[in-house]
Amino acid sequence: MSEINLENVEVAFDTPAGTVVAVSGVTQRVPAQGFVSLVGPSGCGKSTLLSVIAGLTKATGGQVQVGGKVVNGPDRGIGVVFQEDSTLPWRTVLDNVRFALQVAGVDKEGQLERARWAIELVGLKGFADAYPSMLSGGMRQRVALARTLALEPGVVLMDEPFAALDQQTRIFLGAEVRSIWQRSAQTVLFVTHDISEAILLSEQVWVMSYRPGQIIDVIDVDLPAERDPSIVSSHAFNELHNRIWTSLQEESMRGFRQQEGAA
Amino acid sequence: MPVARPLTLKQRHGQFLGSIAVAFAVVLLWQIVSGLLFVVPAPARTVAVLASNLTDPDYLVDARETALAVATAFVIGTLLGGLVGLVLGLVKPVRLATEPLIVALNGVPKIVLYPILLPIFQLGGSKIVMGVLFCLFPVLINVAAGVRHIPDVYWKLARSVQASWLQTLVHIILPAIRRPLLTGLRLAVSLAVVGVVLSEFFATRYGLGRVVLQTYGHGDYPEMVATILLLIVVSFTISMLLWRWEKKVQ
Repeated sequence: MSEINLENVEVAFDTPAGTVVAVSGVTQRVPAQGFVSLVGPSGCGKSTLLSVIAGLTKATGGQVQVGGKVVNGPDRGIGVVFQEDSTLPWRTVLDNVRFALQVAGVDKEGQLERARWAIELVGLKGFADAYPSMLSGGMRQRVALARTLALEPGVVLMDEPFAALDQQTRIFLGAEVRSIWQRSAQTVLFVTHDISEAILLSEQVWVMSYRPGQIIDVIDVDLPAERDPSIVSSHAFNELHNRIWTSLQEESMRGFRQQEGAA
Repeated sequence: MPVARPLTLKQRHGQFLGSIAVAFAVVLLWQIVSGLLFVVPAPARTVAVLASNLTDPDYLVDARETALAVATAFVIGTLLGGLVGLVLGLVKPVRLATEPLIVALNGVPKIVLYPILLPIFQLGGSKIVMGVLFCLFPVLINVAAGVRHIPDVYWKLARSVQASWLQTLVHIILPAIRRPLLTGLRLAVSLAVVGVVLSEFFATRYGLGRVVLQTYGHGDYPEMVATILLLIVVSFTISMLLWRWEKKVQ
């Protein structure tokens, strides 16, 4: 079982203007098969923390463990879905989805079989031979998701995967991500700046402060497992939303002022 | 990367008709000029001379020599240019240190180096080296720029799935730079021809450049123009085919 353990994680960057501490003293745990969302003001280090767990960025302090193993670099057992469009325009949907399997050295038959399974899982059946240029932004993110899921990683990290999409597509895709997670044994960490999205999708929400990024609040989402989008009008949802918004508001203002001041 | 919108059927028809019109105008102008200047043979006459040349074994020896030199120069030039371009695109410190010099070198009239090349590479080798010098830069510059503009997320993707260096090259870098690479190759073909034929104008034993110069010396203008036509038609056709390929890639 793949749980994510963060122990006093710190990330500092050297910039021409001096050292910037993006992430500071984060000690948290995502339980195996858990779904945690990480919310915070823009520029707070959410993506950096995700990148550290993915092994793409080195922590300058502390330690990350996934499934009991210390993360020292990228690992195919840790899947990442990026915010930017990461579909390869010269490959069809099928070839995009089997990309990771191809790199992993899976035989051709296995690649095709698992790619078709993943394509069906994200609801792109019938589009296997299409090129990304023929697809909408939402469909391209489904392709990226399918590519990650095709490797059947124990942990899936999502870095604001729906940030560039319109609200309706976002809600719809979010619900699908949750439903896929419910049917799998995967552990998910989902970065977003959208509070409603965080509540709708996850079992727990972490609130991150503006630089240096620290986890300032951890909220368990006590909502039913089956979540209809209409849940947003429920009292419980609004309570959660208010609590997260209160924590975030101050930090967003602080970040806003610092960025304005720096500009 | 901006993707060219595919032309509609109507636009494609327009393009086709336009090309025919331009070709027709060029031949017509050529016909008129040939009536005014006796050094310029008429189009029909030139084509006839060209056709008979192509059955002449001696002429074919020259043609083969030039074709071989161009092909060799093209292969070496694009491999070298591609490799250096790749390093320049990937390694920022190398790029910062060498880019101004490379751009300046590209501006140097390369043909002035020919007398220096001759004693080193002999008659047969010098024109190949000249062809390499001509076709190296467009590939180098296009590949370097192409690599530099590969979206960050592709690198992150490659790393996150633990792609090896070779896998990254084959599955990410080369396909990602396919457009600038093809543009570079297209330019390289024409420039390899320029480099080789230009060298042959100056000194060589065999080759179409020598044929042009010799026929000029003898005042045999139909022969001369026929050879020039051959050079133009062949490089134009290859460029066109590469250009169409460039337009078609996803």
